[in-house]
Amino acid sequence: MTDLKTPAVTFDKTRTPGTLFSTLSIPVAIVVLVVIGAIVSPSFLTVSNLTNVINANSTVGLIALGMTFVMVCGGLADLSVPANVAMGALVTLGAQPVVGPGAAALLGILVATAGGVINGLLVGYLRINPIIATLGTGSVLLGLSQLLIGGGIVYAQPSDLANFVKSSILGVPVLIWIFVIVALILQPLLSRTAYGRWNLAVGGNYQAAAASGVPVRFTKASAFALTGLLSGICGTLLALSNGQARPIIGTGYEFVAITAVVIGGTSVFGGNGSIFRTVGGVIITALIGNLIILSGLPTQATGLITGAIVVGAVGIDAYFRRKAGRE
Amino acid sequence: MKARRTMLVASAAAAVLFAIAGCSSTESGTPSGDAGSVEGKEICYITLANSHPYVTPANEGAQAAADAAGVKLTIVSEEFSAQTGAEQLNTCVSRGVDGILLWPADENSYLPGLLKAEQAGIPVVAIDTRAGDESMKLIQSFAGADKYDQGKISAQQMEKALEGEGGVVIIAGQAGNGTEIARTGGFMDELEATESKLEVLATVNADFDQQKALVASRDLLTKYGDQIKGVYAEDDTMAKGFLQALEESGLGFIPIVIGINGEAGAFENIKAGTQYSTILQPPFRNGELAIETLVKVMKGETVPEMVPLENTVVDSTNVDTLEPAM
Amino acid sequence: MKGFTISTAASRVVQYRLLVMLVAVAVFGGLNVDDFLTINTLQSVIDRATVVGFLALGLTPVLIAGQIDLSIGSTMSMAGITTIFLQSYIGNIPAALVGLVVGVLIGVINAVLVVVFKINSLVATLATLLVFASLALLVTNSYPLSSSDPIFGIPLTADFLAIFTPRSAMFIAAALIMFVWLKATPSGRNLYAVGSNAPAAKSAGINANGYLAATFVISGLFAGAAGVLQSLSTAAGSPVAGAVMLIPAITAVVIGGTRLEGGRGSSLATLGGVLALGALTAALEYSGVPSYTQAVYTGLLLILLITLDRLVSGDGTTASRTHRRVKVEPTTPRIP
Repeated sequence: MTDLKTPAVTFDKTRTPGTLFSTLSIPVAIVVLVVIGAIVSPSFLTVSNLTNVINANSTVGLIALGMTFVMVCGGLADLSVPANVAMGALVTLGAQPVVGPGAAALLGILVATAGGVINGLLVGYLRINPIIATLGTGSVLLGLSQLLIGGGIVYAQPSDLANFVKSSILGVPVLIWIFVIVALILQPLLSRTAYGRWNLAVGGNYQAAAASGVPVRFTKASAFALTGLLSGICGTLLALSNGQARPIIGTGYEFVAITAVVIGGTSVFGGNGSIFRTVGGVIITALIGNLIILSGLPTQATGLITGAIVVGAVGIDAYFRRKAGRE
Repeated sequence: MKARRTMLVASAAAAVLFAIAGCSSTESGTPSGDAGSVEGKEICYITLANSHPYVTPANEGAQAAADAAGVKLTIVSEEFSAQTGAEQLNTCVSRGVDGILLWPADENSYLPGLLKAEQAGIPVVAIDTRAGDESMKLIQSFAGADKYDQGKISAQQMEKALEGEGGVVIIAGQAGNGTEIARTGGFMDELEATESKLEVLATVNADFDQQKALVASRDLLTKYGDQIKGVYAEDDTMAKGFLQALEESGLGFIPIVIGINGEAGAFENIKAGTQYSTILQPPFRNGELAIETLVKVMKGETVPEMVPLENTVVDSTNVDTLEPAM
Repeated sequence: MKGFTISTAASRVVQYRLLVMLVAVAVFGGLNVDDFLTINTLQSVIDRATVVGFLALGLTPVLIAGQIDLSIGSTMSMAGITTIFLQSYIGNIPAALVGLVVGVLIGVINAVLVVVFKINSLVATLATLLVFASLALLVTNSYPLSSSDPIFGIPLTADFLAIFTPRSAMFIAAALIMFVWLKATPSGRNLYAVGSNAPAAKSAGINANGYLAATFVISGLFAGAAGVLQSLSTAAGSPVAGAVMLIPAITAVVIGGTRLEGGRGSSLATLGGVLALGALTAALEYSGVPSYTQAVYTGLLLILLITLDRLVSGDGTTASRTHRRVKVEPTTPRIP
């Protein structure tokens, strides 16, 4: 039952054990985690707990969505995420007294996007290794953000915007709405538009894509710019909902995002991936963290279990790929 | 390749340059003298961070006091890493400074460096956080709030507010950090000493960070709900994290929340009734006091083993009359 | 004419980057800091560079082979904790040796993940980074371990031959030994071959898989050495000691000139990069520059160097370097 989609789109639908595993693994994993959760703690399977879990991970989830594009186009990873999150947060609150909450939030997002654009120029156009480039820009931006603040906490002024961000619509927190809406926008962007196909092509085979007229440099650069934008949004939302911001606000988010994308099944090699898979990865990562707390395991175990799952997920996927004769 | 070899030779030449320059420049490393004047002497201040709501004003206080005494102050930051701080301590000793002010990020990593400082005759004063007992023997004095006492006071506050009964959660700082050990220890010991009927439901580590406290609090609320009658947060930022989680959860009950540090946000919350109390610990004064103490040691005066920063409890009765620390 | 001169000047700067840096740092430091150009400073700089230096040295063969190892920080923490923990049980030297063994073991795990399970090294070492960072926190309950014999490690940072300390001498020695291995032995040359073009190397009869595995083991060993040395010098085993070291290590290697794409690199270049970075940090630190401003300078330096390097040596000449595949079986060659 082969599908008549364009070849560049993710999975080919022939039913090998590998593709079956690929397609089913995420829903199955989620179900398994939910079952374990229900057994482990009576407070797990409650609306408030599950809402909390998704809510807490919505902001970092946005970054994972951007990281998906980065990985799909072969950009490996964007390690400047903490810096862009911090910039977004600090500018959002810092500029409030000057231009008002709404404009300040936009300014924060803009600054972080600018950081992403710089990354994009270095990686896409100058062809600099993304690990080094993003490490470099991250250091510079984070250092600058601390220089600007001079070491304190920036407090938010009370504002309607902050109240809105902290509220719920139809019982679902605004943060979750934002995550879902962004995911719904990005999913078809990746899987159905030409732009999405460009990303997949660039990641799959850079030279061939260039030869067939895909604007390879722009594509790669834009993935980093997008991640910068999403990091900025993440920072802005965090700042508004916390009521304050410090430069360390985004620490570790890049690893969480990468882990979510990898668990979701997108390959670090590039060339395939989907937003929905990343959303699945975010949910799985969120559930693991929640389960660990609820089961009374020490919080330090989170990294242990997450790392093991990453190895498991990628290892099994690699095994099936080899078996299927694909790369 | 040729370029690399040239680079190697050139680098070796640069090293030789250092060495030659070194031979001809004056030897530094004279141990601190016992003369009265400290003008022009140098203090190396190993601080916890360059950019932190509490530490930054403390650094400013230290600088102010150093300027007032006419002493040159070099500030280096270990950025929360005791290993970095230990290396910087070694460096300070080998640069032969006249006094060292140290902010211990953990209890024991500085011991070898402190031994070297002692051998070199350089006095060391600790600021804000104590080091371990072995290390403290090598330190001339400690200038800071009595964190253990803060824990004790917080326990007393909790007793008073809950009238001796109920479930309490502790949101603690970084595990292994001297401040966390003291503030937790003081609290727990006081509960034990008074045979309190308060029950500690859980202790979580949130590293003095609001975001981490928020995440941990959400889970605490999920697990214990309104069994939580009291919350002891080891600093105000973490108290804020809990209050945020509480508001989010919509659970509607109001536990007694006790914090430490005297932050502006906490003052607001006390006025609003969501936080019960905090303990004022002025960072600028902390920095000043520490340098003043070290300068005294450098002048050869005797100083007490501990130079305390006053612990002032702030609650609804006096919140309007006092200024927040930061 | 003008363009030509600027571009040659730029390539000269890139070639002699380390020398330029050292001179610039010496001038800046000499002007801003009392007693900067002294033997003391030199000794201190080299000594401070030792721990990061070992990490960077271990990373070098991995990068030459076209891989990456992100787990070196966690390995360092684990080795340090193990050493301090065992000191009171089996004695100082045996404990240090066991610490090294821990490093090797983690290196072996990385090697298995990458070579046997064919997991991309970025992902594999990211996973081991997470796992062992967590493990370190778990076994110590997040508290740093105190050494039962703090005196033992003190001689490590004592005077040795005026400009060294015993541990920095070990570092220099290790760098020289690695240099000899990489440049003067057949196995060293084979490593470069594997890094440049694994399938070709394999066809030429080189055991590419074996070399890849070996690089991870070496990286683990050196990270273990870093951990052992640091924990003995500070008489404490910290579960988070290594976490802050990863980025300086990578920065030092890149400043030195080793590329992340594989096939090129040198331990002396890494040594130079480590020292240059150490000297810069020392100069900035003694001048009272706050650490966040230091980060800005270091980041800018990194970007500047790598951009100059790219501009000078031209755009990626061969096939796309963005994929660091572990593919070591012969595959159909990519469309050039």
